[in-house]
Amino acid sequence: MTRALKRIQAVAANTFREAVRDKVLYSILFFAALFLLAALASREVALGDREKVVRGVGLGGISVVGAIIAIFLGVGLVYKEIERKTIYTLASKPVPRWQILLGKYFGLWATLAVEVGILTAMYTLIIGIEQGWPGSGVYVAMGMLMLELTLVTAFATLFSTFASPLSASAYTLCVYVIGHFADDLYTFGKASDNEAFKQMTLVLYRIVPNLGMFNVRTEAVHGVPIPGSEIAWATAYALGYTTAVLALAMVIFERRDFK
Amino acid sequence: MTSAIRTEKLGKTYYSGFLRIPYVALQEVDLDVPEGSSFGFVGANGAGKTTTIKALMGLQRPTAGGAWIHGVSILDPAARARVGFLPERPYFYEHLSAAEFLDFYARLTDVPASERAPRITRLLERVDLLRFRDVPLGKFSKGMLQRAGLAQALIAEPDLLVLDEPMSGLDPIGRALVRDLILQERKAGRTVFFSSHILADVEAICDHVAMVDRGRLVRQGRVSELLEGATLHVEVVVRRGDVVETRRVPPAESDAAIDAARRDGWTIVSMHSVTKSLEQVLLGDVDRSRPLETKRLGVLA
Repeated sequence: MTRALKRIQAVAANTFREAVRDKVLYSILFFAALFLLAALASREVALGDREKVVRGVGLGGISVVGAIIAIFLGVGLVYKEIERKTIYTLASKPVPRWQILLGKYFGLWATLAVEVGILTAMYTLIIGIEQGWPGSGVYVAMGMLMLELTLVTAFATLFSTFASPLSASAYTLCVYVIGHFADDLYTFGKASDNEAFKQMTLVLYRIVPNLGMFNVRTEAVHGVPIPGSEIAWATAYALGYTTAVLALAMVIFERRDFK
Repeated sequence: MTSAIRTEKLGKTYYSGFLRIPYVALQEVDLDVPEGSSFGFVGANGAGKTTTIKALMGLQRPTAGGAWIHGVSILDPAARARVGFLPERPYFYEHLSAAEFLDFYARLTDVPASERAPRITRLLERVDLLRFRDVPLGKFSKGMLQRAGLAQALIAEPDLLVLDEPMSGLDPIGRALVRDLILQERKAGRTVFFSSHILADVEAICDHVAMVDRGRLVRQGRVSELLEGATLHVEVVVRRGDVVETRRVPPAESDAAIDAARRDGWTIVSMHSVTKSLEQVLLGDVDRSRPLETKRLGVLA
C-alpha cells in the first residue's frame, strides 16, 4: 500500500471510530429501529396491497435515516476539526490536505455503509418474519441508496469546508430536496410561460444532482426488475459527480487558514 | 551551521469583514534557527509568535516572504516530515485513548508497523502516562493532555521540535517535566524551537533566542552574546574589624576599587557581577512608543 493510501486509511479509521463512539448515532439508530417496527402498523391504515405499503414505508424510512445521518455527520466533518482545533496537530503532519479530506470522507462513508447495512438487516428480519424473505430488488435499492448517500455526503463535506454546521446543513438539505425533485423542476419550468423562470429552473436542473434516479424503491417493493443499465448509469453518475464535488472541496480546504 | 528553520521577510496579513480591513500580524520576519540549537521565541501575547508557528506548520499561508524547514519550503507538506509539533493549547480527539491517539499519529507519520507499539509504550512511560494508556483523552486533566501532546510530537522521532507555549498553564511539576524533556531532546542533538512569554524559562533552557514585538522581529542571537556586556556593576563586600560594607562599583573600576580597599586595611569578603537579565536585555529593544492601533489599521510604516 502506498504512503498516501495508508494515511487516508488512518484518517478514515479515526473518523469511523469517532462516529461509532458518538452516542447520538445510537439514538438515531434506535429511533430508526422503532420506525421500522412502526412501519408494520401502517398496514392498519393502508389502502390497497397492505404488505407492499409496509415494505415501501420501511425502505423509505431507511432512506430518510441514511440521509439524516449523512447530513448530520457530514456537515461537521471538517468544521468540527477546526472548531475543536484538532486540525492543528492533524494538518501540521506531513500529510497533504487532500489526503486528510479524503480520509475523513471515506470514514464517514464507511459509517453510513454500516448504518445502512444494519438497518437493511433489521428490515430483512422484520419483513422476513412478517411476510416472507424479501426479493433481491430490496438489496439493489439499498445499493442505490448508498450511491445517493455517497453523493449527498460529498456535498455535506464540501459545505463543511467553509460553512458552519448550521449553514452547511441548510445547504445540503437544499441540495437533497431539490435533487429529489429535479425532474419535476424541469417539467415545471418547461411548462411555464415565464422565460426567466424557465431559465432559472433549467440552470438549477443542470447544477443540482438528480437524486431521483437513485430511487428504485417502488420497483423493489413491487418486485419489478431493475435494469442493469440503469444501475450502471446511476453508479457512473454518482461516482463522477462525487469526484467533482470532492475535488472542489479539496481546493477550498487546501486554501483555508486555521486561526 | 545549517538552518533547521529559516524565514525571509515572512509576513501575514489578515483581512476581516466585508470591507476586508487589513490587520498586519507579521511583517518581514527573518528568522534563522541553527540545527541542534535550543531556540526560544519570545514576545508578549499577540506579538506574532503563534502566527509565525502556524505559518511554519502549514496551518496558515504566509501572505509575504518565504520560509524553509531543513531547506524545504513550508508550502510543501514534506517540509514537516522530520518535525514534531505541540500546539499552544492541547486540543486532541477526546474519543481516543492515549495509546490510540499516539498510534493514529504514528500511522500519519509513517512509523513502521513493527515499531509503533514499543515506541508508544516508551513514550507514554517517558511522559508518565503509561498507567493511563487506555483512558480516553476526554478524561485527562490539562497537564496530562499537555504531556500526551508532547508524546505525540515525539512519535516520529523528529529532528526538529516546535512547541508553542509548552509550559503555559502547567503546575510546577508539569513545568519541570517539560523543561527536562526539552533539555533531554537538546542533549540528543535535536533542534528545539519553542515560544514563550516567560523569559525566565527561555533563559534557563535556551542557547538561542529571538524576540518579536507587534509582528516584527526585534532581536535574535545567542543568549550568551546578548548577555555580553550586560554587567550592570560589581558588588564587593569588604570587612574591617566588625564593620562590613557592600560597595557597588562600575565593572571597569572593580580592580582599582579592590586594590584601594586592601590598601585601606579592608578584607575582601566576596565579589560578584550583577548582570541584566535576558528580560531586561530584550525588553530594552521593545519600542513602547509605537501605538498598537497602527497595526490594527494595517498602516504600518
